[in-house]
Amino acid sequence: MIVERNQVVVSGQPQGRPIVFVHGFGCDQSMWRQVAPSFEAEMRVVTYDLTGMGRSDLSAYDMRRYADLEAHAEDLLSILNELDLQDAVIVGHSIGATIALLAANQAPERVSRLVFVSPTPSFLEDQAHGYHGGFSAADLGELISFLDENHLGWSAQMAPTIAGQPAGEPAAEELTQSFCRTDPAIAQHFGRVTFFADRRSEFEHAARPALIIHCSNDALVPMQVADWMRENVPGATLKVLDATGHTPHMTVPSEVTAAIREFLEDI
Amino acid sequence: MAKDAGDERLQTLAEMVEDAPCGMVVTDPDGRLRYVNETLSRWLGLPAAPADRPSRLPELMTLPGQLYYETHLAPMMRLQGFAREISCSLKVRDGAPLPVLLSGVTRYDTAGDPVRFDYTIFDARERRIYEDELRSARRKAEELAAIVRTSPNAILSVDQSGCISSWNAGAERLLGQSLETVLGHPVQEAVRFDEQPHWFDDAVEACRAAEEVTFETTSSQGHHFEITVAPIDEQEPLPATRHYSVVLRDISKRKRAERRLQMALGEMKHRVKNTLAVVSGIARQTLPAEVCHGFIARLHALSRAHDALASEDQKGADLRDLLAFTAEEAGGRERFRITGPSVVLPPHQATSLSMALHELATNALKYGALSQPGGHVSVEYDQDEAGQVRFVWQEKDGPPVTPPTRRGFGSKMINSVVKSDLSAQVDFDYRPEGVRCEILFTPGEAE
Repeated sequence: MIVERNQVVVSGQPQGRPIVFVHGFGCDQSMWRQVAPSFEAEMRVVTYDLTGMGRSDLSAYDMRRYADLEAHAEDLLSILNELDLQDAVIVGHSIGATIALLAANQAPERVSRLVFVSPTPSFLEDQAHGYHGGFSAADLGELISFLDENHLGWSAQMAPTIAGQPAGEPAAEELTQSFCRTDPAIAQHFGRVTFFADRRSEFEHAARPALIIHCSNDALVPMQVADWMRENVPGATLKVLDATGHTPHMTVPSEVTAAIREFLEDI
Repeated sequence: MAKDAGDERLQTLAEMVEDAPCGMVVTDPDGRLRYVNETLSRWLGLPAAPADRPSRLPELMTLPGQLYYETHLAPMMRLQGFAREISCSLKVRDGAPLPVLLSGVTRYDTAGDPVRFDYTIFDARERRIYEDELRSARRKAEELAAIVRTSPNAILSVDQSGCISSWNAGAERLLGQSLETVLGHPVQEAVRFDEQPHWFDDAVEACRAAEEVTFETTSSQGHHFEITVAPIDEQEPLPATRHYSVVLRDISKRKRAERRLQMALGEMKHRVKNTLAVVSGIARQTLPAEVCHGFIARLHALSRAHDALASEDQKGADLRDLLAFTAEEAGGRERFRITGPSVVLPPHQATSLSMALHELATNALKYGALSQPGGHVSVEYDQDEAGQVRFVWQEKDGPPVTPPTRRGFGSKMINSVVKSDLSAQVDFDYRPEGVRCEILFTPGEAE
């Protein structure tokens, strides 16, 4: 059952328009906890963990299948199917935005609108085509060796020393298990899939109108990428937030919520 | 007085933080640097002027660390309020990146909103070296494990109680049972050989005397296996707690080839004997009776020598027997004086040496001491303490010898075969009173 496999959580109005949140590389659905609940009053709110992340069934992460982002898009469509969601709004963060887009392009009839939070079609520079993704091939090579080498670092994150835990704080294990839980091998694999994804042509053929939320000072996604999307993604609206970092839904959640509300006003 | 004590305490704390044996950093929730202690500034070679310094924590990190900060660290600080022992590298001015371990804690205002992230940063160079070694050791171990996994042979490990603890894919293929069905079962029951029901116990017993044991056996399905049993931890002094590796190779193909070869060899021996019998028959019908008798006796000697050698082909032969055959071949033992001990030669050396002896005898019959009545051959050999054999063939009372003007097939054969198969040193001396040949060699291990 995909609902259990991906820890699908449904809240809000059973008859309301569905809004589904897709998290990105690094954490899990808890990243949406300051944004998703504010839509519960009028919508049917769905959050879940990507296969292999968070509390999803890690054994379901078949490396060959998930080497292609389409596999995550198929999972998303299965969730829409399983919950019988129609005309859903899909909100995706970073690589989650790409997953949302792929799903919408595959089954446009199920999706009404898309919201991309800090999206990028490709991290890699492509000067020949005037695309400035922000990272050279050498940068990404360094990243790959980091993903290879930092094995123990990721493990330490999974199982921190509990001895230094301040009194009164819940067990460290429980906390790290619930936030940003990452199996090292899967993190390494999904990291490669994420940072080497180049989905520009899919973004150029977006089947549904999209809102692009971009932080003015995002260390991972340069402003040129946001401009490229505004020009090349059909029916896209760009909203630039005056914010720092790659996770505005955590740093400026009320602004993200307001932008999404404004975008959804006319439906 | 109280004020002074308070000032002194503050002064101590400030010094402690500035010059702590670890880096200390404070940022706002967006990662903007609010404070960097002196220790970290020194480690990283940060400029003194605040305006020249990086403005955000991720800017102190190498690129992978920046990605990690944005995708993991910052969310963790917000979601769980702390981060512990995150491994990353910091940029050092004019130097190699510094591996560090970073721990952080989030501070909140009264409304419960995060206002400050405090970090401590530990120098992890030594730990990183150790981790790198650990990783490379693990990679090697994984490589070896992959070799076991993909081996066509059945490779299993057996614990001290004789039960199977691992079983590779080769074992599943060769023995037709999956790991789940055999795990924890006694290996002698899971892998049965009708000829040797206690094969594992026997092998363990034999392992007490040797490092490993290899034997061949046949399964009830008719497959031939070569099995090697060896203790896994050769340091383990107590046989009772040893674990063993068991490797089974399917040698059915090799066994079939060996059988074919044996049959062909048998057929050849049979034909050689038949041919000699036919030649005897022809001689009996054609030669005058007085010549025929001696000729047929020689043929019989040849046939016997052939039989003896052929029957020895499995185990090797004694030099003394080889010389006896040679003497028979060359017309009778009465023309040889042989003195020497018993020296056992492995099959390949025995074959080479008997060919060499045959050539020496043939030459003696054609041109040397045995070519005229009264001539004879003296063979003396001895083995020294190091095992080296000194073998001397000396012909006597034959026609006067003149050194050959060209080397015939025989001496070429002796030189090449004997030198290569016996690593021997060969010396010919064409003395007028009789040919002398000296061969120095060390017999190999009998197989």
